This record gives sequence, structure tokens and C-alpha cells, in this order.
Amino acid sequence: MTTQYTEMQLDALREVANIGSGNAATALAAMLGRPVDLSCPYVYAKPLAEAVESVGPAELEVTAILIQVIGDLETMVVLMFNENDSRVLCEALGVEAGTEVGVSALCEIGNILGASYLSALAMMTGIDLEPAPPIAVEDMLGAILSSVLALGASQTDTALLLDSRLLVEGSDANFSFMFLVNPGAKGIGSLLERLGLGS
Amino acid sequence: MVRMGEYRVSRTAGEQLITIGLGSCIGLALIDRDRDIAGLAHIVLPDSKDAASGAIAQPTKFADTAVPKMLDELARMGARRSGLVAVLVGGAQMFSFGSGGKSTLDIGRRNEAATREALNAAKIPVMANATGGTKGRTVVVHVAGGMVTVKEAGGTESELWRAGRTR
Repeated sequence: MTTQYTEMQLDALREVANIGSGNAATALAAMLGRPVDLSCPYVYAKPLAEAVESVGPAELEVTAILIQVIGDLETMVVLMFNENDSRVLCEALGVEAGTEVGVSALCEIGNILGASYLSALAMMTGIDLEPAPPIAVEDMLGAILSSVLALGASQTDTALLLDSRLLVEGSDANFSFMFLVNPGAKGIGSLLERLGLGS
Repeated sequence: MVRMGEYRVSRTAGEQLITIGLGSCIGLALIDRDRDIAGLAHIVLPDSKDAASGAIAQPTKFADTAVPKMLDELARMGARRSGLVAVLVGGAQMFSFGSGGKSTLDIGRRNEAATREALNAAKIPVMANATGGTKGRTVVVHVAGGMVTVKEAGGTESELWRAGRTR
């Protein structure tokens, strides 16, 4: 099913992403002791085939932190750091990028950002959203994202992505923070309903 | 470029059919060993019967429907059924969520099994494969000479299979 969303629904989801990632940016700034900026989030409701290229080059080597969300909404929080982002973030935390300790530091960043994003969403909508422990994957962006999307692909041909970018001030670290919703699964309808935009 | 759920067939000798970043998905290359005709499908899931109604934009999204669809298209291009062979790439397990996670996370392995089953039913032999493991892969099918190359994440490109033609 190619799920369709109205402009108004997409605007509402953009606002959800903005509030969630705003909260996450504040948490990251506190963790790093540096200001963190947030760019206007993108919301994509696209055919599966177009989803990967709207996020980035499929061949890009990234470290992704995946956080499965348990509760009323079947979804996944995905953070993607390229080599440079990993280096900047790890340096700010005083660990070496590319090492086991470096990867677990990125997991911890994912943990804190994911939790603050989800708690903002839960507070805004009254929907129960519990983050599972984060998992780190180092691979090609396309391989990671397509495997995440495959989890929901039996129910839909549409990928719904809320993609925010966080920028660490005074550095060129600029990474993707995604909230990936499976439009075929339970929950997205009730999320829109809570926002007063049920179909 | 063959993206999620899509496929391409070609008889243009200079052409390359490419999928960058296969994770749990399968890149199914079907090659006519005697002619410069080849196809590549980017299979996402094992079984179209698991799909919600209307979630089948492309038959090549599912292993069971991808094989017949590709065989039809290749026959239309002039490939000879008895000369067709298959090469499989992908089907990795990129991540697992432990006990709390979904059991659907061995999608890669199930994709490979379902693709092999469909090929077996169609009597198409699998000549080579680069499947399983935990790493993403990029596959390139060179229509000329029926050659398949694979590159793992962080690795270098290498030849996986080539049609040994005498002419």
C-alpha cells in the first residue's frame, strides 16, 4: 500500500520531529559542553525504492545507532555518524573514534538522544514510547537503512522518515537523527489522531 | 541502479546493473551464459503471501514472485531458458536485537532460502554466491561477458563469477 499523507499531516509530523530533536539537541549540548544547532527537519513519505537516496549516498560508510521503540508506536530511532562526525563526538568525550570504547560512546550518545527525543514525543502526545537498548552497526548507509526498512516492508511500500540534522557548533560534525515509522504498523494513525489529524 | 524492490534486465553489452549497499536484501543476478543478456533484482522479503494487500508495488520485492517475473522479462529479451544461471549476493544479518527483539531479524537468511527455493522450482542453477555474514555488499552485473563482481563494506571489489564462453 502506498500510504498517502496530507500536507497538514506532514507538517504536524515535522513539528513532532522538531520538538523531539530540539529536546535531543539540548541533551547533547549538555553532554558535550558545547552548543548544538538543529536544522529544520525533513519529513519524507516516499516509496521504499527512493528512501535510501533521500537520506544520503548508499555507499557512505557510517556508524549507525539503532534504537527500537517499544510501546504504542512501532518505530525505530536511527542515528547515523560519518567518519568525521564520529571523530568530533568521540574527541569531545575524550575517547578515540573507531575503537570499541569509541563505538560505545556513540551508543551512549544515541541512548541519551533517543530517550530525550522520545520523552518529548510521549509528553506531547500521551503515547507510550519506551526505547530499547541501542545497537551499533558499522557499514554502508544503504545496507543499514534498507535492512531497517525491510522490517516493515511486508505491510507497506511507503517509508515514513522524520529526519533531523544536529550540528555541533565550532566543528563540522553534522549528523542525521531519524525517526523511522512503519506506516503499515499500529500506532501512526493514533499518533496523528492525538495531534488532531486522524484520517 | 537497482533500488529496493526494483529490477532491471538488459541486453546492452556495455551496461552494468548495480545495487549499492545490500544488507538483508538479496541481489539476484540472472545471466544467460551464452549471450549478453542479464538481469538484477533487489529482493527485500522472502514471501509475497506475508504481504498486506496492496503492499506489492513491484513483484521483485519478494523472492517468490521475483524469480518468475525476471524469467519472463529475460525470455522476452531473447534469453534461452536452458542457458540461464543465477548468482546470489546479500542476505546478511546486519543487526540483531536480542531476546526482546522481533524474530523477523533473520530476514537475510530467509531471503536467501526463499530465493533458492524459487530458483530450484524453476530449475535455474545457482553458480556462485556471496551471502550471509554481517556485512553489507555492493553487487555489479556486467552484461558483457556475464560477469558479477562484489564488494563488501570496507573491502575491495572482486570477481564472483563469470560466464565461461568459448566464442
